[in-house]
Amino acid sequence: MLSIRNLHASVGDKEILKGINIDVHPGEVHAIMGPNGAGKSTLSAVLAGRESYKVTEGEVLFEGRNLLEMSPEERSWAGIFLGFQYPIEVPGVSNVNFMKAALAEHRAHKGLEPLGSAAFLKLMREKMALVEMDASFSSRGVNVGFSGGEKKRNEIFQMAMLEPKLAILDETDSGLDVDALRIVGNGVTKLKNPGSATIVITHYQRLLDYIVPDVIHILYKGRIVKTAGRELALEIERNGYEGLAE
Amino acid sequence: MNSGITIINGRTQITGSGDSVRIDLPAGESLDLCLMQEPGGKDFEINLSEGAELGMTLICIGCPEAVNRMRINLNGPHSRVSLNGLYLLRGEARLENHIVLSHNCPECRSSQLFKGILEDKATAVFDALIKVVPGAQKTEAFQRNDNLLLSPQARVHSEPQLEIYADDVKCSHGATNGVLNEDELFYMRSRGISLAQARILQQLSFVGEVIEAIPSEQIRQEILSILEQYLRRQ
Repeated sequence: MLSIRNLHASVGDKEILKGINIDVHPGEVHAIMGPNGAGKSTLSAVLAGRESYKVTEGEVLFEGRNLLEMSPEERSWAGIFLGFQYPIEVPGVSNVNFMKAALAEHRAHKGLEPLGSAAFLKLMREKMALVEMDASFSSRGVNVGFSGGEKKRNEIFQMAMLEPKLAILDETDSGLDVDALRIVGNGVTKLKNPGSATIVITHYQRLLDYIVPDVIHILYKGRIVKTAGRELALEIERNGYEGLAE
Repeated sequence: MNSGITIINGRTQITGSGDSVRIDLPAGESLDLCLMQEPGGKDFEINLSEGAELGMTLICIGCPEAVNRMRINLNGPHSRVSLNGLYLLRGEARLENHIVLSHNCPECRSSQLFKGILEDKATAVFDALIKVVPGAQKTEAFQRNDNLLLSPQARVHSEPQLEIYADDVKCSHGATNGVLNEDELFYMRSRGISLAQARILQQLSFVGEVIEAIPSEQIRQEILSILEQYLRRQ
């Protein structure tokens, strides 16, 4: 589904990613763990199509298509969803109008008409319930005045609406209290299906209690230094990232 | 919706010939006006007596060239004026608003909010003076002009000015010039909203404050639909 081959990326003159190789197949959950500054956020930004990051070498294929040549919206239409570490506030655009616009474009690319108002609102209510979001959030500006936990729940709500094939969750656990962590973690788990895959990018293993990974990669100084099963997360929790680089 | 109007609103008199309009609001009267900009522009003289209230919105969506001159006098205590403007200009369009708003007596309130979106080589002038005469205590006067510049050749000359000769007043003014927010655009695009649509949503959000202040739901809807057509270049 997703194949990252020898990916090198820079910000300005600084090379951050120094040859990443990852293969993700349908149904899999991958965790990418690493200390601060390892390149985790750069990797998610490159996959999402942020222009400030420059790919200098390597390739990324999504279902056989060259991901790096696609615009951010084309990536979304193709079925990629990025959960932001710091979700952006969009004042003046309500959650409901935001999702309506997004869903209409997704449907148009599948040759479908936009959902009627009643069906759309019903779908919104269902998906909001999944992350225990109050209905009053629909009319509020996107993420405006939301707490850290509410923003992350809103990300998972958007994911639920768009039903991506591949969700990349960038530090979704940062800034979450235990309850929000549970809601977000269970939300993601409920959205899993055999045809979809998830990449969880995280510093800590605590989100992995809820979203259980099949594979864990350790990203360290721009390289994947270790790939193993879920037991690796516990090892890191005990011993930290030091010593893994060798 | 047309400034060639004859509006009879209670005892309010609106008289005008050609390009000049005079509005006299007697004591206690209130009037809400929403005017679509016509090419060329208009001269307005507006006088408010005690307790009179005026809400006025000037809308200019794609008008090629216009100069408006407004003189607004708050002549009676407790009179209020809310003067808002919205302009969207592209091509070589040029819009000038020259406003002198005088607080001629105590305890009056005025607010002005002008928002503009400029593309291509368009130019906007916001030249607005608030005068508070000696003795006009407890005046409250606010003035703001915000612009989005979508092209490096677009120009805004924004000059909000205050001239205050009383000491017990609350006045503020300011102007901002900005561009579309890249982070917001990227966020919308990452959810599958195309760049063109994301830009439209952001522009609608920018002007939302002026439109929401229009009391008539019907006029708000009409203006929104004109705006969307303009933004979609239909």
